[in-house]
Amino acid sequence: MQLNGDTLDSSLQSEINITPLVDVVLVLLIIFMVVVPLALQGYDVEIPRTTAVAAPAQAELAQVILSIDPTACRILDKPAGEGVPADCHVTLADQEIPVADLPARVAEVLGGRAAFDRVLFLAADDRMNYEGVMRIVDLAKTGVEDLTIEFITAD
Amino acid sequence: MRLGEPSKMQSSINVTPLVDVVLVLLIIFMVMAPQMRKGPDVDLPDTVKPLEQGDERAKILVTIDQAGGVWIDDQPVAPEHFRETLLAAAGDKPDKKVVIKGDAGLHFGEVRQAMRAIEMAGFRGVGLITQRAGAEKKGE
Repeated sequence: MQLNGDTLDSSLQSEINITPLVDVVLVLLIIFMVVVPLALQGYDVEIPRTTAVAAPAQAELAQVILSIDPTACRILDKPAGEGVPADCHVTLADQEIPVADLPARVAEVLGGRAAFDRVLFLAADDRMNYEGVMRIVDLAKTGVEDLTIEFITAD
Repeated sequence: MRLGEPSKMQSSINVTPLVDVVLVLLIIFMVMAPQMRKGPDVDLPDTVKPLEQGDERAKILVTIDQAGGVWIDDQPVAPEHFRETLLAAAGDKPDKKVVIKGDAGLHFGEVRQAMRAIEMAGFRGVGLITQRAGAEKKGE
């Protein structure tokens, strides 16, 4: 019986403490869930109909057009660093403004409208770099909540 | 007492095979996860405040790689077959959302033409996929 009791004790002590192991495994799992997300981030944009037969009746509110032209905003290649170069100018509602003023000007022009009327038409030149255009879209979006962006895609 | 002692000995579960299985699953997952993404890897544009667009598996993914090649989900697509491939990818759900993953080095014109083709295929709006500036670059 004494012998029996000894084997029982030693079998109890031989177990590995798995708690730290499980901790490590779970932490690895969480790291992977964070590093490899399948979720996407980006911007919802609308594309004005080009296939519609009849244009809809003109709204009483003027359309606000943001034009990005490579002569005023030279982002022809992938921009380095973050943000938009300070010397970049864009045209919002027929006024040329420095890109840094864009959020404030968008808020001024569209902020007073109802949410469904906050529509910004965007006409970017084909030669512009895509990332540069997206950064300007990002800036415009920060100006006002619920902004709908319509990308003008007609040739 | 006779009953108590054997049950006490059996009460500890042997966790070694369990941990083995979990570790193997983890390794399989680590290896497979990067390949679960649809389409080729592109260098997405960095922006400051992108909004969540949800899971890519529920969407039609149009990828435009650095060379201007267009992919729908996993398949490279020639421009003349773009419309029918896109409609086939939508299947019986024509309101499925289309998202564009364009390489940051592209010119806007290439993305614009893709958007135009998507609009002409009858889809309303697209999502333009970016990544949060400062986020770790995928595949580097």
